[in-house]
Amino acid sequence: MKKEITFTLNKEKTIMEVDPQWTLLHLLREVLEMTGTKEGCGYGECGACTVIIDGEAVNSCLYPVMEVEGRSVMTIEGVALKDGSLDPIQQAFVDEGAVQCGFCIPGMIMSSKALLDKKDKPTEEEIKESIEGNLCRCTGYVKIVDAIKSVAGGR
Amino acid sequence: MKKFDLIGKDMKRVDTASKATGEALFSGDLILPRMLVGKVLRSPYPHARIISIDTSKAEKLPGVKAVITAKDMSGDKWGVFKYTQDQQFLPTEKVRYVGEEVAAVAAVDEDTALEALSLIDVQYEPLPAVFTVDDALAPNAPLIHDVYPSNINIHVKIDVGDVEKGFSESFLVREDTFTAPEDSYFQGEPYAVAAQFDNAGNLEIWMPNAGPHLKAKPLSNVLKIPLNKVRVRKITIGGAFGGRSEIAPADVICAFLARKAKRPVKIIYTREENTVATRQAHAMVTTIKTGVDKEGHVVARDITCRMDGGAYSSTGPIAVSVPFLCMEQAYRMENIRYNGYRILTNKPIRGMFRTHGRAFACGVDTQLDMLGAELGIDPLTMRLRNARQTGDYTPTKSFVASCGMTETIIRTGEQSGWKEKFGKLPPFHGIGIGTNSVQTGFPMGIRGGSQAFIKLNEDGGITVITGIVDNGQGNDNMIVQIAAEELGISPDDVQLISADTEVTPSDPGSYSMCETFIGGNAVRLAAQDVKMKLFKIAAGEFGVGEDELTARDRKIFVTSNPEKSMNIAKAVRIALSRNESISGEGSYWPNVDAKREWVKNPYGQLSETFSFGTVIVEVKVDPETGQVEVIEAWAAQDVGYALNPKVIEGQFEGGFAMGGQGGMLSEFHQWHEGRVLNPTHLGYMVPLAIDMPKINNIIVETIDPNGPYGAKEAGMSVAMSAAQAYSGAISNAIGVYLKDFPLTPDIILKAIEGKGKREQ
Ligand code: FES
Ligand code: FES
Repeated sequence: MKKEITFTLNKEKTIMEVDPQWTLLHLLREVLEMTGTKEGCGYGECGACTVIIDGEAVNSCLYPVMEVEGRSVMTIEGVALKDGSLDPIQQAFVDEGAVQCGFCIPGMIMSSKALLDKKDKPTEEEIKESIEGNLCRCTGYVKIVDAIKSVAGGR
Repeated sequence: MKKFDLIGKDMKRVDTASKATGEALFSGDLILPRMLVGKVLRSPYPHARIISIDTSKAEKLPGVKAVITAKDMSGDKWGVFKYTQDQQFLPTEKVRYVGEEVAAVAAVDEDTALEALSLIDVQYEPLPAVFTVDDALAPNAPLIHDVYPSNINIHVKIDVGDVEKGFSESFLVREDTFTAPEDSYFQGEPYAVAAQFDNAGNLEIWMPNAGPHLKAKPLSNVLKIPLNKVRVRKITIGGAFGGRSEIAPADVICAFLARKAKRPVKIIYTREENTVATRQAHAMVTTIKTGVDKEGHVVARDITCRMDGGAYSSTGPIAVSVPFLCMEQAYRMENIRYNGYRILTNKPIRGMFRTHGRAFACGVDTQLDMLGAELGIDPLTMRLRNARQTGDYTPTKSFVASCGMTETIIRTGEQSGWKEKFGKLPPFHGIGIGTNSVQTGFPMGIRGGSQAFIKLNEDGGITVITGIVDNGQGNDNMIVQIAAEELGISPDDVQLISADTEVTPSDPGSYSMCETFIGGNAVRLAAQDVKMKLFKIAAGEFGVGEDELTARDRKIFVTSNPEKSMNIAKAVRIALSRNESISGEGSYWPNVDAKREWVKNPYGQLSETFSFGTVIVEVKVDPETGQVEVIEAWAAQDVGYALNPKVIEGQFEGGFAMGGQGGMLSEFHQWHEGRVLNPTHLGYMVPLAIDMPKINNIIVETIDPNGPYGAKEAGMSVAMSAAQAYSGAISNAIGVYLKDFPLTPDIILKAIEGKGKREQ
């Protein structure tokens, strides 16, 4: 049986009919066709599906859709600035050469954005911990950490 | 005047902004009108005869639009080589591993598709199965395929010089055996395919691939439609790492479902399916016998390697050869014998992997360290004494046109402070070195060369058309960078049509590290073709020779008098008004020996050039837990010429993480009767950000005579050498040479304990 939920999605008030069995990832990808959020495993181990809910980075593949009620969700589609230009963290990923195949990147950006929104100048350890749950098979993480650092230092 | 505007610079990759916004579409992101969900039914048995398949119940389930089994296909067997045609995309007689495709459905949604799978009734007669190389080779072992006696799928035999004489003349000879279980790709993106037919019978298909043309031909064969009806489309690809090159059952199944249902179908593999039903890397046991003279030069070597190939051939002949070839490229030796066997077992299929052959490469290097220790020569010096040099021929007769191996060894040695550290570090603190070499392309029959077209637009912009594919490493950017540089235009002026078999000409694919060397050369030649045509026009206008002109900043000007210039757009307009063609074409065919063949004739020029790399790592081992902490790493490669240093660094770092940190410390599969126990990230440990040490990248340039701008390939020799550096460093730290990889805490603790007992 479908239920109605009301939440904020990328700053817009959103009302949806959902099946309480769904995960948030299912709602995003399959129903809203917002495919920027990726599914790399579906069981909470890879971080490709990371979104920010009320300021915290979470794995949307494990997040029950009913829990979204009343909350504010930001996905990768909501990160770029109003005029379409890249958010500083996105720009840093491009500038530092942190993007290779790109599959992990939306999740990486959401995790690091959640950190940077909370903390102006995180330490390198905090940066690495913030993306501990985001697996990248291409980059060896070096340039990803550099990218996050460059924004952290530049603020 | 500066030499290049874009080449050699840290150019920001053209494909990355759309990846950072989430706009880049991967295969699994595609949404087509009326699209169905495809799901595959898989064998629960490692080896069984298929008695019957009843799909009638599944077909009746509302929402099911197509069900396919082997009956829908011709039964033809596919293989990368004529002599390895042994795999049906849906088998008719037998299943040969747990997870093999048996049937498939397309339905309106995932739940319906899954329910339909459960309604398919397959009757099997289980057969005895073999799960290890030893079992597979045992007398009276069940045969997995009738055509491979004793389950020996491939035997590569190489014999150069006089190995026995070499051993008898050696000062010191050792023989050791090294082992490693299977490892996996774990690409970021799980495999996914989307397919649809139009009403003229044209197939459009999207999937992660390392060569769209490599996928198109077998699709054409199996669907019995001409190649011009097979349109493998470009799509963002979430990593390949040596996999995803050959046709996969999922591709064929998705196309057959779409044709039968007359609707688009998408199959997205679960993480488990990506591990079990695409490819894995080979488990192997390598026995190495090496003889050296007093100074540590290798006089003779004899290697026997037995690889567990799983149930089908895949790229078997290549997989058996490559670890040996990398070794013979890296090190000089006159007398060498190799017997490489690929043995079939009832396990998932194994293919080529980026860091292929850790039990081989680490074996060779560990043994070199052991020999050096007996002679009183340190590992770095052992490598310097045996390092390949420019102008050499490898034992199997490849000419080495450029080689910076020695420089990679010297520079990593200097930067890491090797001399001050080796043998002088405190207990459980060690340093190790690995060196290796890779190819830039293989003899690939008619698919060995690449062609590119360039179309000029009246505003001076261009469209480049090439079969080159980007798996994530940055090939798209490489194409744009080269074309823009040659024509003196901005990257923004370049539009790319690539990796689409409807319009792009043939290309070997992003396989065997050849795209920069072969595809890049083709693009460069096409751009030069266009440039010459433009120069002809400008030369006429200015009354100078074509060789007196330069193209830069969207202009063509007289080199000695830049005032005399015209916009490229103007030259294009002149050409158009004169009905002169100014489209460009370039093709590059590498200088390889076409008669060379993996099994029948493994001699002759293998690849036009080779890259060479060295990695040094410094580690600390916790003797209580067996945990390894990597303190710092130095990674060097002779890349020929660095087209885009930042991209190369990224390749070094990624290769180091996969080959060294993951490949040598934590990555391996565990099994129970042919069933992989850790198909997901929960049990298969890929490196995390917190695991990574500081990596110092050292780019060495030798300017290859034939590479585009002297470039070769960007980082595979680092990926290949990293594991060797890890194993050397850990052995050095604990004072025991380790022979079974990866070096998990268990193995390390056992070795420390064993050493303690011996010393008592
Ligand atoms: S898809 Fe959610 S953690 Fe992997
Ligand atoms: S960029 Fe490919 S998985 Fe991270």
